[in-house]
Amino acid sequence: MAKLRSPADLEKKREQIVSKRDPSKPCITICSGTGCHALGSDKLHEAIVTEISKNGLRRKVDVRRTGCHGFCERGPVVVIFPDETCYLGMKPADASEVISKTFVEKQLVERLLYKDGSGASVALEGEIPFYKHQTRTVFGNNRLIDPKSIDDYLAVGGYSALAKALLQMSPEQVLEQVKRANLRGRGGGGFPAGVKWETTRNAPGDTKYVIVNADEGDPGAFMDRSLLEGNPHVVLEGLIIGAYAIGSHEGFVYVRQEYPLAVSNLTAALGQARDYGLLGKNILGSGFDFDVTIHRGAGAFVSGESSALMTAIEGMVGEPRPKYVRTAVSGIWERPSNLNNVETWANVPLIINRGADWFTGVGTAGSKGTKIFALVGKVNNTGLVEVPMGMSLRDIIYKIGGGIRSGRRFKAVQTGGPSGGCLPESLLDLHVDFDELTGAGSMMGSGGMIVMDEDTCMVDIARYFTNFLADESCGKCIPCRAGIEQMLEVLERICAGKGEKGDIDLLEEISDVVRDASLCALGQTAPNPVMSTIRYFRDEYVAHIEQKRCPARVCKALVSYFIDPVKCSACGICLRNCPADAISGGKNLVHIIDQQKCIKCNTCFEICPTRFSAVLRISGEPVPAAPPLGTEVARKKGKQE
Amino acid sequence: MTIDGKEVEAEEGKTILEAARSAGIHIPTFCYHEKLTPYGACRFCTVEISKKGKSRLVTSCVYNVEDGLVVQTNSPKVIKIRKMLLEFMLASAPVLAEVAKQYGVEKSRFKSEVTQCILCGLCARYCAEVKGANAITFVGRGVKRRVAFVDEVVSSGVCMDCRQCFGVCPTGKIPRETDGASFEGITVQDVLSRMNRK
Amino acid sequence: MATAKARTTSAEVQGLSGQLPEAVLSRVSDKLGIPAGRLSRMVEVLEQVVQEKGDTDSIVEKYKADKSALIQILLEIQRERRWLPKEVLTSVCEKLGVPLSRAYRIATFYKAFSLVPQGRHLVTVCMGTACHIRGSPRLLDKVVKVVNVNPGETSADQKFTLETVNCLGCCALGPVIVVDGEYHSNPSSNELEGLVAACD
Repeated sequence: MAKLRSPADLEKKREQIVSKRDPSKPCITICSGTGCHALGSDKLHEAIVTEISKNGLRRKVDVRRTGCHGFCERGPVVVIFPDETCYLGMKPADASEVISKTFVEKQLVERLLYKDGSGASVALEGEIPFYKHQTRTVFGNNRLIDPKSIDDYLAVGGYSALAKALLQMSPEQVLEQVKRANLRGRGGGGFPAGVKWETTRNAPGDTKYVIVNADEGDPGAFMDRSLLEGNPHVVLEGLIIGAYAIGSHEGFVYVRQEYPLAVSNLTAALGQARDYGLLGKNILGSGFDFDVTIHRGAGAFVSGESSALMTAIEGMVGEPRPKYVRTAVSGIWERPSNLNNVETWANVPLIINRGADWFTGVGTAGSKGTKIFALVGKVNNTGLVEVPMGMSLRDIIYKIGGGIRSGRRFKAVQTGGPSGGCLPESLLDLHVDFDELTGAGSMMGSGGMIVMDEDTCMVDIARYFTNFLADESCGKCIPCRAGIEQMLEVLERICAGKGEKGDIDLLEEISDVVRDASLCALGQTAPNPVMSTIRYFRDEYVAHIEQKRCPARVCKALVSYFIDPVKCSACGICLRNCPADAISGGKNLVHIIDQQKCIKCNTCFEICPTRFSAVLRISGEPVPAAPPLGTEVARKKGKQE
Repeated sequence: MTIDGKEVEAEEGKTILEAARSAGIHIPTFCYHEKLTPYGACRFCTVEISKKGKSRLVTSCVYNVEDGLVVQTNSPKVIKIRKMLLEFMLASAPVLAEVAKQYGVEKSRFKSEVTQCILCGLCARYCAEVKGANAITFVGRGVKRRVAFVDEVVSSGVCMDCRQCFGVCPTGKIPRETDGASFEGITVQDVLSRMNRK
Repeated sequence: MATAKARTTSAEVQGLSGQLPEAVLSRVSDKLGIPAGRLSRMVEVLEQVVQEKGDTDSIVEKYKADKSALIQILLEIQRERRWLPKEVLTSVCEKLGVPLSRAYRIATFYKAFSLVPQGRHLVTVCMGTACHIRGSPRLLDKVVKVVNVNPGETSADQKFTLETVNCLGCCALGPVIVVDGEYHSNPSSNELEGLVAACD
């Protein structure tokens, strides 16, 4: 690849690439993010290529492996251009039918299309409700490009913002645009990026660093993974523009090692950018030098905290520092260091190309632009969602998410990861932006949005998050290390049926100290999951403590399994599948669970056919006496009741 | 600036803790040592500061003095924090009972593994920053974090002649458990094999 | 990727065992009083040590013995060897000019590292929030039964290591299990047994 030595070279190259591509030529795209990969997109790709060959279509139809589309649960996702027909959950065995129906018979394969609530199918990707209500400004290019191809990125306009910034704007002008756009950090802090850039730029010292925080440790969040895997160049482009504005010549990308595909796609992207002269010395002939090193994490959530991350880049253990001086002034090796999240950097090329005024036209007064959320849990349509700031929780969960799955009822939505909180149904009309959720005791955070239904126990959720934080606490400071340990102990007692009067007050007392005295944000926000669930779901805590009852029937120690003799039809499925051999019964004989042997694994409850629904989960009440052995069923096999 | 109502002048670049000490005002600490970089682990030196009406809780060992700062070293919030910190410390280091009593903490409501260690890091930091031997380190994280002697350094004999870590340990754990000669039970390999067995 | 020096040494040693004529082997074994089989095995081990040392050296060289790359170097060694032997930590720290204590600190702080040999097959169960809501604790129970190892441990025959991880970023597919780098979404008990049986 010849180096591009000027914006004119870049545009010539771009034209060269685009002129060789015919937008009306059919192209089958296969999503190849980690999610679809886990569902077999590799084998699917092979099968499709084979079928194309078999049908003699190699010259007529392109096949492209793209970045993550976001509709992860329905993967593998296949979109056929130019019509943009979308097939979901396609398997290698479907390849032959899809190819022949699409290109020979010119028909749709109905069974692979999205079906809405009424059963009607939706063929166009853009019409699927999950996508229809989104505004995929940042994420949208993922579906059009092969992340391993810089040429694909150039074809959709990539690096034009970089050329504009380096050759048509001064660093101050670039900074001005980002400040005016009011781009706030997408990693959770929401700090105005332009202000941080300016602080770093003005801090004393000639050597400055820019950093991409791709540690994404919040469980339930995978926005950054998909961006970095699916379009590494947009992040890189934003980073180089930022470095130019700040006056930095050396950048770092800190990626967690649990994201191997992101690491490898990014490594390839850096190599390609260097080959084209978009990274390295004298970029595009501007005289600006800049290069990037990748630094992998090694399995610690706390290392995503900015001072901890910088310490890890220095080669020491990634623990937070107890300083009150901003890292923008004193960061890596005490030099000014500007750290921003992956999604924040990805917004920069857009701001430069379309201008701050365009950017501020979207969103709310205090939160401009769009935000990518990971909508997961008990909704029908789970995956990555990009919407303008200010959309309500209700719209996101119901319009885009398609509501609660399996006909259950909404109970709570958890936002902001382990630093955030749970919000109940009464707050569904809150607008999602940086400030509105904080007032209610949660926070928008990095974008994790976990929907919970009536089968979720909120005390168990608080225990889950506290356990996570106990595992991830670095242990340096006493309030976080010991405070979280003690909060966990209380929560575990409560879930084990050993809750005591005064436990809620104790949790609140410990929370105050952990929040006020901890060294870093992990400890300072650790009480949030507990405090927000106590605030909105206090009755569940009271039920666990005073009645030894788990309303959601989750906490094993408080739940007993019982087969209703009236409903049991002796089908034998639960008996055969019980891992503890705790169920006795026989043909036409009521099945009985031996309470001493039962390990509360929930298998019988899940496996009992819905039409019988004979397994009951009992909590807070005595288990009814089992019928005598040998009792016959009311409904016999084969007979209707 | 004022500390507990007393007007104090301090040099720019000094911390609140240093300024207080120069002015004869006592702020208690566990993990602070004049010869070592402030660590911020014990949080005991927390003070309540306010400027222009906004108040915050900060650790005085690392917060730099500012013009017009109002500092309270014994506000109700600070006292509450100190008391609970002592309850936490007592749970793993009951040997601190007498110290805790001085702050009005008679006993701890909490239970934890008794290690007689509050992980202040003075031993490891002193060995690294003053002695330069790096014979002591932290292993593990969170509640499993422990101090341990590096077997390879100990076996070189440098520790036997030095023993400076004995004097800085606030609970006396180091002198007690090393017994001056035998580091059994407190080396990295020992600590790790105990962790693996759990 | 051995360095030139290590490659030469390794080749010399390799050449030895492959070309050691039986007569020479048995004469040396007689003289030393060591059975020929054991002698041959010793040479194999020596080859392996030289090879592995070569790998460690080359990894350090790749990062130009930069102090700040300590964590990156240890990550690569962990991936190659499936653990971090003491001797390797000592040698890496010497080359980088950092105290050995720092390597122990790092190796015991991060989940990616193991100071004891791990199994040939790594099984990881995701315990992230979305997976938790979809039943990862129960999946973990099943996995523990099938591979007969507790989380965080390695089986006695060094076949399996079972780990839990706090989020893989595949939240829409939960609960997720990874076996030797291959991701699987919500496997049934049968599928689980099949995955495990396929590991030799």
